[in-house]
Amino acid sequence: MKQNIFIIIGVALVTSLSSCWMKSGGNDTGYEYAPDMYYSKGYEPMSQFSDSSKYRYNPYFMTMREPVKGSVAIGQLDYQYPFDNTPEGYEAAGASLQMPGLTLNEHIEGERLYGIYCSVCHGEKGGNDGSVSSKQATLKPSWANYQDKYVKELPVGKIYHTITYGKNNMGSYASAVTPKDRWAIIAYVKRLSMMDSLGNMPKAVYIESAPVAAALVADTTKKAEPATHANSSSSTSNHSNHNKH
Amino acid sequence: MVRNRNNYYMQVKSLLVAFLLFLSLNLFAQPSGKPLSLEGAKGESLFKLNCVSCHAMNAKLVGPALQNVHQRRSEEWLLKWIKNNEKLRASGDKDAIAVYNENGKSAMNVFENLSDDQIKSIITYFKDWTPAAKVVAAGGTSPEADQGFFSDNTLYILLFLIIILAVVLLILRRTKNQLQSTLNEVDGIVENEVAEPTASQSKMAAFKKKSNPTIVKLLVGTLVALCLAVYGYNFGATEIAVQQGYAPEQPIKFSHKIHAGDYKMDCRYCHTTVEKSKQASVPSVNTCMNCHKGVQLRERYDGEISPEIKKIYAAMDYDPDKPNGQQFGPNPKPIKWIRVHNLPDHAFFNHSMHVKGVGLTCQTCHGPVQAMPVIQQYATLQMGWCINCHRERNIDVENNPYYEKLHEKIKADKNNKNSNYSKYYTKDGKINVTAAQNGALECSKCHY
Repeated sequence: MKQNIFIIIGVALVTSLSSCWMKSGGNDTGYEYAPDMYYSKGYEPMSQFSDSSKYRYNPYFMTMREPVKGSVAIGQLDYQYPFDNTPEGYEAAGASLQMPGLTLNEHIEGERLYGIYCSVCHGEKGGNDGSVSSKQATLKPSWANYQDKYVKELPVGKIYHTITYGKNNMGSYASAVTPKDRWAIIAYVKRLSMMDSLGNMPKAVYIESAPVAAALVADTTKKAEPATHANSSSSTSNHSNHNKH
Repeated sequence: MVRNRNNYYMQVKSLLVAFLLFLSLNLFAQPSGKPLSLEGAKGESLFKLNCVSCHAMNAKLVGPALQNVHQRRSEEWLLKWIKNNEKLRASGDKDAIAVYNENGKSAMNVFENLSDDQIKSIITYFKDWTPAAKVVAAGGTSPEADQGFFSDNTLYILLFLIIILAVVLLILRRTKNQLQSTLNEVDGIVENEVAEPTASQSKMAAFKKKSNPTIVKLLVGTLVALCLAVYGYNFGATEIAVQQGYAPEQPIKFSHKIHAGDYKMDCRYCHTTVEKSKQASVPSVNTCMNCHKGVQLRERYDGEISPEIKKIYAAMDYDPDKPNGQQFGPNPKPIKWIRVHNLPDHAFFNHSMHVKGVGLTCQTCHGPVQAMPVIQQYATLQMGWCINCHRERNIDVENNPYYEKLHEKIKADKNNKNSNYSKYYTKDGKINVTAAQNGALECSKCHY
């Protein structure tokens, strides 16, 4: 009888301890069932493997790939961006680029995107007092704020060039912000620069529907695309039919 | 007691933090080793206001390091250069053009607004400036010191001590008993060895006599089997392939707490595709470089670049001493981040649908990421967890443009009880939409 009790206690101890060993945490993913479903044989995004026999086509055995040379993503307006990342290119962009017409939704989107990508350094209202730049002096722009004469007179093309390639300590945002969104952000920046001391901004000038051709694109292949993309949620709106029946 | 200990801990910690902050504040402004003259101090504040976004004294940022610049150039030249470098370059000054070319042809800003006196005081600051003494720079701002008094191992150490003390206590007790009985023997006290059986013991004996040994064995066997079954079910349901708490050591000790918490950066600043795609992307290294070209944390590492930031530079093949405008090195290498959240192949999940469409915050599923120094899996990511949310969470159809059409249809069919949309109304006539009502419990929505 006494032995039996010891056996029960022993089993209980071992099982409770083993459950601690098998739990995930730290570097351990824990006990896995059917790992083939977790570590896919097919290419999955955001996964990298050191198994060079499986991933022999990609450099560094990673699944992310650069787009095929010469291919253009849907909505990528600036694949013909003609200016180089040089001081001359900067001047040329300033002289020739024009702001395309934006819809109201694009204006709203521009303000939202400014809050995500720009405000960390340039401040919520362009005061260069963002949550990062106020703590890291090297990230503070050399001019005081957006209401500065410098920004007021800065051609939109130069701002576009700067977002695309970066300037001084500012990096390139080309990988994060699409060309259309860049123009929407610039529109908001320009409105911020016109803000008066009471915080009043001029109203956004908007058009009813966005034209297919933006500033510098002479793209004849995209005529089939509908002219009204109300906001940049075009990728999610594709799902709407699918999800709402 | 716990409260007291916490208080004590907080006090120690806050004191330590205050001390470290004090140190780092001092170090932050690239302190001069020697005290500055009055003129130099004026220059320092001007320098901080106008120059630090591109220049450091002892490190090259966008512009060259300015230590000893007054020895390299004449004061007259510096005056002209700082005031309007474009003019100086246009006038054909060889030095000026050389400086421009050396620094990746990125033009320095024009400072026509600074007076000659102001520029002179900045130059005085250059003259006064000497590198801070090493002893100060090493003053306890190493990352280990940030941990404070208690570390992760404190609990284990305490447990270990408790066990050792308990063992010592047992040994002492035994020794005492033994000594007592020896003493008793010597004194001639005879212990009453045959004790009367206690009540419970006699019961046990009676039970033993009555019970059939086979039945007892069967009973015990069933009990053990039950325990194992419960354990097995629990293990299978909550632990196999559930990676909650998985927090692997990443190739770079990136802290979400610093970036998303302290610096309040939006999650989408780095994970850009979360609103556009099925996946929330891990940022490419150039996103890190947006800030870390300038933020090198030299003040914390004895004038050296932080070892973790060096890993970014290595990945970008970027030489911080030879910045070349916006160009990085020719041989970039990706950083092999370790994926934490991983759904099996048979489950489909779309980030953009949940974030842009429904408007969920990242923290709903990923937990308080802004408080995690090491990123870990917060939710179980089990199917039951998905389904619960689809059943229980109300979707705000009224204010979400994504659901505009659905909202119109619901409103239009308000009084039509035969309509499909009547199910969206609660008894008191309010609109209540869950994902489950929209078909989010259908198997083929996520498994196909």
